[in-house]
Amino acid sequence: MDAFALRPPEITRRDFLKIASASLALLGLSQALTPRVAKALEESLGKTAVVWLEGQDCAGCSESFLNNLEPPAASILLDTISLRYHETVMAASGHQAEEARAKAIEEGGYVLVIEGAIPMAEDGLFCTIGGKTFRDIVRETASRAAAIIPVGACATYGGIPRSGPTDAVGFLFRGTQRHHYFDDVAAGKPVINLPTCPLHNERLVAVIVHYLTFGTVPPLDRFHRPLAFYGHNQHENCERRGHFDAGRFLTDWGDPRQQGWCLYLKGCRGPVAYQDCWKRKWNNRTSYCIQANTPCVGCSEPEFYESFSPIYERQIDVELPGVGRVDIDKVMATVGGAVAAGISADLLISRVKGRKNGGKKKGGSRTKVKAEKES
Amino acid sequence: MAQRIVIDPITRIEGHLKIEVEIENGKVKDAWSSGTMARGWEVLLRDRDPRDAPYITGRVCAVCEGVHTVASSQALDHAFDIEVPEAGRLMRNLFCGGLYMHDHYIHFYVLSALDYLDILAVAQYKGSDPGLLAVKDKIVALVKKNDTAPFTPRYEPDEFSVNDPETVTTLVSHYIKAVELKAKSQKMLAILMGIQPNPASIMVGGCTATPTREELLEFRALWEEQVKFVNEVYLPDVVAVGTGPLLPLATAGLGRAHDNYLCYPMFPQDNPTSRADYALGGSNHLIKGGVISGGALNPAQPVDFNRITEAVEHSWYNYPSGVSSLHPSVGVTDFNPRKDGAYSFVKAPRYDGLPMEVGPLARGLVNRYPELMDLIQAGAKPGAVARHFCRAVESKYVGEAGLAWIDRLIELATAGPIVGMREKPVPRRAWGMGAWDAPRGALAHWVEIEDRRIKNYQLVVPSTWNASPRDEKGVRGPYEESLIGAPVPDPDNPINIVRIIRSFDPCLACAVHLIDPETNNIKVFKVS
Repeated sequence: MDAFALRPPEITRRDFLKIASASLALLGLSQALTPRVAKALEESLGKTAVVWLEGQDCAGCSESFLNNLEPPAASILLDTISLRYHETVMAASGHQAEEARAKAIEEGGYVLVIEGAIPMAEDGLFCTIGGKTFRDIVRETASRAAAIIPVGACATYGGIPRSGPTDAVGFLFRGTQRHHYFDDVAAGKPVINLPTCPLHNERLVAVIVHYLTFGTVPPLDRFHRPLAFYGHNQHENCERRGHFDAGRFLTDWGDPRQQGWCLYLKGCRGPVAYQDCWKRKWNNRTSYCIQANTPCVGCSEPEFYESFSPIYERQIDVELPGVGRVDIDKVMATVGGAVAAGISADLLISRVKGRKNGGKKKGGSRTKVKAEKES
Repeated sequence: MAQRIVIDPITRIEGHLKIEVEIENGKVKDAWSSGTMARGWEVLLRDRDPRDAPYITGRVCAVCEGVHTVASSQALDHAFDIEVPEAGRLMRNLFCGGLYMHDHYIHFYVLSALDYLDILAVAQYKGSDPGLLAVKDKIVALVKKNDTAPFTPRYEPDEFSVNDPETVTTLVSHYIKAVELKAKSQKMLAILMGIQPNPASIMVGGCTATPTREELLEFRALWEEQVKFVNEVYLPDVVAVGTGPLLPLATAGLGRAHDNYLCYPMFPQDNPTSRADYALGGSNHLIKGGVISGGALNPAQPVDFNRITEAVEHSWYNYPSGVSSLHPSVGVTDFNPRKDGAYSFVKAPRYDGLPMEVGPLARGLVNRYPELMDLIQAGAKPGAVARHFCRAVESKYVGEAGLAWIDRLIELATAGPIVGMREKPVPRRAWGMGAWDAPRGALAHWVEIEDRRIKNYQLVVPSTWNASPRDEKGVRGPYEESLIGAPVPDPDNPINIVRIIRSFDPCLACAVHLIDPETNNIKVFKVS
């Protein structure tokens, strides 16, 4: 019954136009394309099969996907695609469930969504479903897919489980490194990575609609992320940027005078995070981490979480786009007097940049992170 | 002759679960519950900055996300010796409260209902309600188009299935509403959490969010909408189905486990009165903790966290020779996925050596929910139906109590900026414990800090209790026990098995984690 019930009572031509328009807005594409997208959606009704696999996951990406309100997840999920396998949603259990997946594979040509990391240690024994390792399930299911969309930090680059003992990896990447394990089954197929922890629902909706409409994928960076969503830097666009420039850094969450100040010293990874959370926000444009007064943890990046721990410690040494390498210790050493003298942090940074080699990295797990805009 | 059947995967749950049963004369004779996925949270937390733990453990599972984050934060509050400001306590309560409501109704409508409803009855709907007619048209059209994934294949309905077209169609329409309201609940919670699911703003010392009065008024309006759905739709549906078509299953006690129950206190309504209260988030809890053993109606005893042990005889881990069970705080485990005689990544936790059912039924019995007591008076026994019933009842309690928490926060926001955090540096050496009762049951985190780093981090989570395999004495875990005697007239259609298992709302992602073999320090944590 699940998806029957998820299905809104009626879907009309008007609804398709609404979905098309909303999806184009998500992708940053022209509204002039609306009729074409709506037509594609209508024609694809019930035709495009989707198989959604869950490995070392927390179900957060599934939960997030169901949170889509505009367009409603139900319309997108159930009126434009045929969801053949999804452990958290499907009616079938046991061998019936596995038969549903086998049948989809036999037919081929589906969109494969992968949620959760893939454990490689101990021949993949750390995650088994229906007696098969998840690693083998991914291989088998990817082999006949038309397009592959790993969602969330785990399925893309390994995410938090990558820091554990199971050698957890993403579909193409182990952190920033390609691991090539699935290259044979991925060959010739579009692989669209949609990181963040969890998946941002709108990004998946837009990619699916794009694929259904144009039969292609949007332009991607070298980590296979769509540039439309992962091409902009958090720090450059942050609503707290003014406080950074003025040298007002939050150091104590208990101090009401510091509310709204820059979270850089609380470990914010904004300078190395490429996403559009600052513009898109979360949960139907309600809020996002920085708006809730907590730092960006950089969950859109392949380095997350292993290289970004400790989360709430400032980074020692970063490269800022357009600025170059910055030793924040040096900035802080002079910032008090400088702010008093009316010199902005940006100016300080450009000065520090000129004599950067003195700063020695402290603390083994603090990591130098290179911010690099993809093209 | 006995026949073995295996259901793998059990779907419409969180995580990966396999259930194997032996059937004789149409009834379950024996059962085995296996968790089939592990990630190794405790190992990955070792040697890290303790402040990372709430963020990381909040991602153990996205379903009870908030409760992990809060339990972990409380363990650190306890270790750091921080009294969380009132606003921080209130925001944590509201987070867990909002989660409780939507988690429970989603479990009922989306994850469980298919086990009780004959969906095709919708096609027979004869009424004139336009909304229900639209649902009917949709389903008829799908069946005609022969594209009914993901509802087919499925286990066939049996004599207990609800097949009255009016009831089924109404429930299906509520189901649509539930999905929409869950998205709105997470939108509401994002006002305090930043993003949902998977929270960002709760950490040691409280909650960083600084909602304005206007934002809190919006939060209140969204909360009221949730309460209205719980009180006017969810609870009446559960009562109607539970005391109506499902009454035979309720009075038969289908899915009853050992009749041992454990729950921890949650939703502190007052500030802490001692340092021990930091572990519990405060004092005067809305839902009390307690332990009941050997009979559902036996009086509840206070929880003593030192009486918890874990065994690994049938789990894919080794213990040092001569050791059969250990307190979780000294939880040594040498991981061995090829161990003979083992069948699960889940360990076997015991309280006073006994398996414990945790979750809504445990809370209902320990707290003597009046509605549950009435149901028992009417002849129902503890089991699958009673679990659904308790969820709906407590959703109402939490929803109504939450209004007072919001109003107090609005008062605070009117007086000045909300400050929900109190900071202290990471202690050089400390230990702490945090407990909360997650929607699925008793949850506790233990942390030991040395040189300002995590030396040992342990979680004993709800589904570890419920999905536990046999212990060193061969005693079954609650899932396993609850299946014994369940009628399975047709081994190809074991619908009662999935009804029972799903009534616990399994959440296997949490249940399984690895513990490093090197952390076998012998030290018992005490709540002081």
